[in-house]
Amino acid sequence: MQFVFKLIPQLIAWTIMVLLLLRGIPGRRRGVSLWAAGGFTMGVVGYALLARLASGTVPLGIIRCAVGGSFFLLWVVAVAAVYRSTVRDFPLVRVERFVESPFCAWGGGAIVGMVAGGISASLFPGSESGTVRFLVFSTLALAGVLLVVVARKVEWRLAPSIGVTPSSLPAVLVALLLFSSSSSLVLDLFSPLSMKVMKGTHDFVHQFMESILIPDHIFIRPAIWGYIGFLFGKEVGFWGGMVIWFFPVILISLAIYLEPLPSVAQIRQGAQRRRLLAAAISKKRRTLVIPAIALAALAGAAYRSSFPNVEYWDPKPLSVTATPAGELFIPRKGEVDLEDGRLHKYLYKQGGKEVRFFVLMTPAGKLTVVLDACAICKPDGYGQTEGMVLCYYCKTLIPLDTVGKPGGCNPVPVSFLEREDGVRLDALTLVNSWNRTVQTTTKSSGEGK
Amino acid sequence: MNRLPRTLWAIISSRALPPVVLGFFLVLYIGIAFFTDETLITLMALTRRIPLLAGLLALLPLNSGCRMIVESRRHLKRHRALSGMARSVNADLFDESVELSAPALFPQLELRLSAEGYATRSSGEFLVALQGVSLFPARLLYLAGIFCLFGGILVSLMSRSVDRQAVIQGAPFPAPGGNGGIVEKITFGISNGSILERELLIEVANREGKGGGAFGVYPPGRFRGTFVYPRYLGVALICRFIAPDLPGGYEKSAVLPLYPPGREASAEISGTPYRLTLSLATPEDGSDPYMTGKMHFLFKLLKGKELLLAGSLPEGGEFSRDGYRLSIPDFRRMVMTDFVSDYGVLLIWWSAFLFTAAFFLWLPLRLLFPRREMLFRSQGESVRACSRAEGARRTHAGVFNEALDLLETTKHDAN
Repeated sequence: MQFVFKLIPQLIAWTIMVLLLLRGIPGRRRGVSLWAAGGFTMGVVGYALLARLASGTVPLGIIRCAVGGSFFLLWVVAVAAVYRSTVRDFPLVRVERFVESPFCAWGGGAIVGMVAGGISASLFPGSESGTVRFLVFSTLALAGVLLVVVARKVEWRLAPSIGVTPSSLPAVLVALLLFSSSSSLVLDLFSPLSMKVMKGTHDFVHQFMESILIPDHIFIRPAIWGYIGFLFGKEVGFWGGMVIWFFPVILISLAIYLEPLPSVAQIRQGAQRRRLLAAAISKKRRTLVIPAIALAALAGAAYRSSFPNVEYWDPKPLSVTATPAGELFIPRKGEVDLEDGRLHKYLYKQGGKEVRFFVLMTPAGKLTVVLDACAICKPDGYGQTEGMVLCYYCKTLIPLDTVGKPGGCNPVPVSFLEREDGVRLDALTLVNSWNRTVQTTTKSSGEGK
Repeated sequence: MNRLPRTLWAIISSRALPPVVLGFFLVLYIGIAFFTDETLITLMALTRRIPLLAGLLALLPLNSGCRMIVESRRHLKRHRALSGMARSVNADLFDESVELSAPALFPQLELRLSAEGYATRSSGEFLVALQGVSLFPARLLYLAGIFCLFGGILVSLMSRSVDRQAVIQGAPFPAPGGNGGIVEKITFGISNGSILERELLIEVANREGKGGGAFGVYPPGRFRGTFVYPRYLGVALICRFIAPDLPGGYEKSAVLPLYPPGREASAEISGTPYRLTLSLATPEDGSDPYMTGKMHFLFKLLKGKELLLAGSLPEGGEFSRDGYRLSIPDFRRMVMTDFVSDYGVLLIWWSAFLFTAAFFLWLPLRLLFPRREMLFRSQGESVRACSRAEGARRTHAGVFNEALDLLETTKHDAN
């Protein structure tokens, strides 16, 4: 039931995609409809087959790459559109010829259909039996095809004044694909983008300051350093991510706005000139409706990414104390069952310092002990969701089977001894590891270069 | 035969080149991000090592240099056309161009355009109407800024070398190549600047036999072509240590990054299982020990992982307990300094000046005095009319169209 509930926005997005494809490529409606419907079916079937034959992450990885690639292409289109509008001799003739070709129209319809079909199919939980899966995926493919028919009927009745330009069509299609993919934590692109922006900005500022020989924080006024430190925070990641997220569509809108009005210098009747210019301006304004829809879809995607409809397993940390020899012992079975596949958080206090860590049994059946912090972000901790743990600070998803491995945003591993009755840790090692990690991440988040 | 150079020139001077090159580097950056967290550093290292990547990066300053030539030529051609020196009008130089079969009766038109606020110039052959100031100088500054920025990045990437040395008060100045003189004094004090809170002065005597000199924090001083870039502060000290199993004692000199107070640094006592961790104590009066020179050390003595002793060592004092004796007979201020050889930095600084100048020139001109141009030139029985605007386009286009209407009316009147 939850699957159906999640699917409704995807199918609405798919219908709008087809509708705009048909409006954007008016000369090839029939071909585009067929290829889009075929693409959607292929996307659903392809996902179902790959999910059965390969590991669950392979088809999701392919969809993610396709959505990410389409976003990159959108940037290319946006930059080209701005140059096209502002530079008279911009060499785009061959590209325009390719865009207008049937190959591009049909191929575009098919690819959009495949990605949309794949995203919709990926929302189906993998735990159901084979027959149920077959029925669900067949129904989904059929629904996708039916919605193409519905979109054709609706497009037929849509006001002819609503035009889709060659640059606003990819904008709205990619925005709707991003909106669809934001329904899944694994396919979502906005949060990873924000995280990459945060890390990229940190690296860039650090390198820039070293390159132009700016002195270290001990010489600089705290207020000024506070501004520099702001560049290392997650807010910059979020807002930088927002800029990268929305900017291609804003650029496309700008390109439409900056497009030169038709030359009326050869017309000698003032009224006729004004009528022609007014018509061109009015057409420009109507054309901006499509980028506005794209912006709305992108805003929806960013919202769904920032406030995902997912419940995290995040137990309250249990307090533990060390033995006189400085050893911590966590029993395998007792108040909690360490082998239940969930993360179990613990809190160790020593001399006013608090150390959070968690114990988890990985899908490979091995117990692992890690800090509730990573070596990069502020120690906001982790929550667990299906097959993943999530860093609350930067929203990075870490597959369960990599928990216990060092690097990146993975929780920092702690050395421990696994015994039959539980796990044993050295309290001093744990405290030192926490101090080292937290000192480094706090420093990189504003207190030093 | 001329085709290849022409094609090359068209590519290198194309406005499409920068987004393509930057897009390529962006894709490369994204690709590297899949494999390592040190994405930017890896990208810089790759660009340094692979000539193809360095060549691609070099296209950016090259392109801006070529754009400066192309746009200057275009500007000069337009200038010639507007000053009436060109024999014919090249329509490509303007936004709009139209040919009217009307006689060149310009006096009435000149009056009309003057009334609209245009400065006019005419002869029997042509009429020029101008308003506002051209954005070309701002554009040229911007392109020069791009040239300096990417040129600077390229030079910096390819040629930067950094030699990190400890500059110790009273010791020889560790300049590359030696003979840097003696570090006479290191002063650390409060700064009155709006950006810098503290100032540091490294005073050097007998530099290459030329007398004294001093190096501050920013802008960094230069010595034999290298920038003297202070990184962090610390203490150079001599530590004497006697332990029950080390009755002969041990004397060690160490350079430790101990600033600010509370920051710990450790020194291995080589050949023994002992390790010493030191930090500067925060004075009770709140003063800065590095500024006052009154340093009080806190220490921890470890044997392997075991903490043996912890305590404090006042200036010149000695700690003694259970057969362990520890003293710091001499300590001096130390500044860990990078000697950076990098000519790209100068270009990057220049780019900042050029961008700032370009922005402050562009903004008022674009908002308040945008350039608007009209050219009417007689061509036998007809008139070629051209128009161009850098701002207030709609108003300018309206005036231009009315001017054309006026010419048309003049034709009918003449008939």
